[in-house]
Amino acid sequence: MGYVAVSAGEDVIRRAEDLYEKTRIEGESDTVSVDQVADQFGRLTGQVMGESGLYAPRLAALAIKQAQGDAVEAAFLLRAYRSTLELWGYAEAPSTDALDVERRVSPAFKDVPGGQILGGTKDYTQRLLDFDLDGEDDPVNPIDAWDLDPEHDVDINDEEPGSLAGVVDLLREEELVADPETAAIDDHVEDGPQDTTREPLSHPAPRDAILQELSRGETGAVTALGYSALRGYGQVHPTLAEVRVGSLPLRVKHPYTGETATLPGTDVSECQGVVPAYETRDEARFAFGYGVTFGRNERKAIGMTMLDASIQLDGDAPAEDAEFVLDVVDGLDSFGFIEHLKLPHYVTFQSILDRVRSIQERDTTTDEKVDAELAEVGGDD
Amino acid sequence: MNDTDETTLEDRTARFERIAASETATLLDGAEAVLDGETDVRVVQSPSPKLVMQRATDPVSGQPFNLGEVLVTTSEVELSDVKGFAMVPGKAERKALAGAVVDAAVAADHPVSRDLRAALADDAANRAERRQRAWAESRATTVDFDVMEDPA
Repeated sequence: MGYVAVSAGEDVIRRAEDLYEKTRIEGESDTVSVDQVADQFGRLTGQVMGESGLYAPRLAALAIKQAQGDAVEAAFLLRAYRSTLELWGYAEAPSTDALDVERRVSPAFKDVPGGQILGGTKDYTQRLLDFDLDGEDDPVNPIDAWDLDPEHDVDINDEEPGSLAGVVDLLREEELVADPETAAIDDHVEDGPQDTTREPLSHPAPRDAILQELSRGETGAVTALGYSALRGYGQVHPTLAEVRVGSLPLRVKHPYTGETATLPGTDVSECQGVVPAYETRDEARFAFGYGVTFGRNERKAIGMTMLDASIQLDGDAPAEDAEFVLDVVDGLDSFGFIEHLKLPHYVTFQSILDRVRSIQERDTTTDEKVDAELAEVGGDD
Repeated sequence: MNDTDETTLEDRTARFERIAASETATLLDGAEAVLDGETDVRVVQSPSPKLVMQRATDPVSGQPFNLGEVLVTTSEVELSDVKGFAMVPGKAERKALAGAVVDAAVAADHPVSRDLRAALADDAANRAERRQRAWAESRATTVDFDVMEDPA
């Protein structure tokens, strides 16, 4: 059974929209500017960009304002906008070493080359409500008290600011992870990785398609499914080789010269996790999970790492089932299906009512029979 | 390549990179100086937002994949039979058009091209300084985690 269109007064629908808009501006406070959202809600704009699959910080801030802070609605607005745009081309895939790092910690290696760089984080402090922020005016930049001398305070061993060797290189030297030369890469990648925004996903999905879908998955869904593995619904409890935050360069071919040009990068959060796989595989090496997403969203990057590692195990747990994970992880898909239940289903429900009454009128002999037939009355959409 | 070196801006690809990273005001001021009423500039491609698919690489397998799209704005102009092209981040039509004008003006050796190169080099120097500052701030949070001894 398909959908049945309904009609309603357009004026009333506009009034409902007006009431929605009223809730944004009826307070006595000043209207929040897009610049304020962009500057002060960087985590949220990052989350929205990651879930929409579109890197556009200012438009993400605009979408958040329009959606009144609803992250998935904002991601929907960005995806709707991107669908109107032409694809100029595909960038080259930079190596992980190309990340311009502002933060890198390694839970696996204490003495990681380049050091543990905490960057801006509250990971190691108490999280308590700061009542001073309510009514804050004229905030002071705490960095001003550091008395930094950038010319002399940086590590002289850094060839370039933000340049750090990856932890995976340490593992490779010890032959604890597969060498890229021998790693199994799907054959089709030689022609370029699958673009799931233009080529529908089918199962079994290649790993590049899985990574793309996970990277634009909804943060809560990625976190929850990754967490399920930790709670025993799976085998993966990784040790994180490193968690990094930085800027990934955008490398495109110049249309006149054909040379590769490096343009301003995209802010990303990245995570690499190692999983001891000797219990399920013949060789004494680590399995590996990888996560990366737009913006500052380490929680999602870690969750993606766990799901990538879980899916590679191809086991029976929910998080190890690529089809299950990819079917539920996209925020726009789940948003649409869940929220469409609010829309008129009068014909559908009338059909169900008719069938239930019909069954009742048949005066069936046993309650069990009625129950069995009711169980077959399912939604049609 | 020295990011702040004015001479590198003779190179089309290097100039493309610098223009993409430049401040909006720098490009608008530069384009305004070029459009002096005597210079004929033809818009070949009106500035319009487009998508570039950003790719990433799994560091262990080397597997490339599509991370997500990046919003850019591109524009192309022709100045004295010399084309100019610019791609700038985000939805920024005026900046892209101004960038294409600056690119064409430098390529055509327009009378103000020296000033344009100097302005782009200044921008690059400022960016490098900000990056050095940001890296120093990050470096100032470098920590040694010590494994605590068992008190028993």
